[in-house]
Amino acid sequence: MQFDWPEFIRRIFSRETAFTISVAILVIGLIVAYWTWRWVDSFLRTVGVDDAVEGTPFERTAQSIGTSTVSILAQLSGLFVYIAAIILALNIAQLLDTQLFWAQLTGYLPRLFVAAIAIILGLVAGDKAALVVSDSLRSIKLPEAELIPELVKYSIFYIAALLALSQIGVATNALLILLAAYAFGLVLLSGLAFKDLLAASAAGIYLLLVEPYSIGDKVEIDDKRGIVQEVDMFVTHIETDGEEYVIPNQIVMRSGVVRVRE
Amino acid sequence: MTALGDLFEGVVADVDAVLLFSPSTSAVEPFEDSDVPVVVVAPENTVEADLFVELPLEFTDITGRIRFGLEGAVNQELITEEETVVCATEAFGDGIDTVMRVRADQFTRTGVYDLFVNSRAEPAVVRDVFEVCIELGKKGQKGKQVGALFVVGDAGKVMNKSRPLSYNPFEKSHVHVGDPIVNVMLKEFSRLDGAFVISDSGKIVSAYRYLEPSAEGVDIPKGLGARHMAAGAITRDTNAVAIVLSESDGMVRAFKGGELVLELDPEEY
Repeated sequence: MQFDWPEFIRRIFSRETAFTISVAILVIGLIVAYWTWRWVDSFLRTVGVDDAVEGTPFERTAQSIGTSTVSILAQLSGLFVYIAAIILALNIAQLLDTQLFWAQLTGYLPRLFVAAIAIILGLVAGDKAALVVSDSLRSIKLPEAELIPELVKYSIFYIAALLALSQIGVATNALLILLAAYAFGLVLLSGLAFKDLLAASAAGIYLLLVEPYSIGDKVEIDDKRGIVQEVDMFVTHIETDGEEYVIPNQIVMRSGVVRVRE
Repeated sequence: MTALGDLFEGVVADVDAVLLFSPSTSAVEPFEDSDVPVVVVAPENTVEADLFVELPLEFTDITGRIRFGLEGAVNQELITEEETVVCATEAFGDGIDTVMRVRADQFTRTGVYDLFVNSRAEPAVVRDVFEVCIELGKKGQKGKQVGALFVVGDAGKVMNKSRPLSYNPFEKSHVHVGDPIVNVMLKEFSRLDGAFVISDSGKIVSAYRYLEPSAEGVDIPKGLGARHMAAGAITRDTNAVAIVLSESDGMVRAFKGGELVLELDPEEY
């Protein structure tokens, strides 16, 4: 059950007093908003958000218009508090006589705020993720590999946009279905792509733990005979004179191993 | 100052390439538009140079460093053997302070670059083993001078050309050189007799191995002991490289193809 503050204040005070109170609330709201702005700003700086977002395009855009991600977030929080104060004041003074307006806006405002936060976080997180992924892919000097960080970035942007849209109440069902299809496709494709690697590593774990053969042993696997040079998670290296076979571990498990003793 | 200027002119005149050893970014930038090729030789390509030779060890002696840089550059065909190059390097710390004019074939090629880059084992593995040897040579084991023999790469063949002296302490363990804790283990086990066998990817396959290669035609300097002879011989019989810490004179020596390739004094590192 919601307590109706404006109604309560109007009931116990006269109309003039109510107006004075609403002006006071306006002033207090201004102070609280300012305080919130400063506090969020310094809090975000203490936890190191400004360092974390350093160099992302969003931060750079913010810098170019003379502000920064941290201060945008802080100003948004302040603005949110101030708008709440204005609405409270308006309602007490009954300048806007609308129960409806009150109900709608209070419901709507936090959502708008969350949507804005989601967009900002999404932009920053997307850029950060792209940076991290491209950093770890740097050793692969392949032009195609540059596609992956971009893909990660826009996936995160998409999810952020979806969150924001659903917050402000836009129908997102179609977009949600698209996301589901995309996620499903990703899982299916990576499952297909990594099938052999998964099988090889499962077999590799067994081979490494039990060591049915070890480096230096003479073995025959899948009609390939030679000396074991290396066993790792995914493959076994077998060498004969001048030829080195790299055999995936699942083939070792499937075909079995002949240890040659002479 | 003209005499000094002339001297310097003489050193840098008509060179075909410049080798910069571990330069800072500001040292490389002015060379960007120059018409002589500039090769950067450094442990890491921090300046993002196009022509780059990776230095696996921080060679403290200049000849070793320059020899490695030259051999690397020749090997990667960045320069040819007939060319004259200027090497700029650091001799006494704090950035580049020495400029040297060398012909690329002035050194007899020792294959020190080959040892790291064109061995069966990965360069990082060879480097890690070197570091263990240097550290062991510097400190000894519990203050006592020790010797050690590491055979790196081609482990399968090495295992077939050797026999165990006792139980292998590394059996069914999956440890790799380069881990700090493993380096401590290696130092402890250096008291054991015999050789360490390390695979191409750096896995420690065995300790306590008695190497049984045929020592025929192994040409190593006289005066080195049985450990060095075994090291030289096993690298002739297999594609491995061997890195030896001498018990008597404390030097670290590397063998490849039956020949002594590199000699380092651990005290200098």
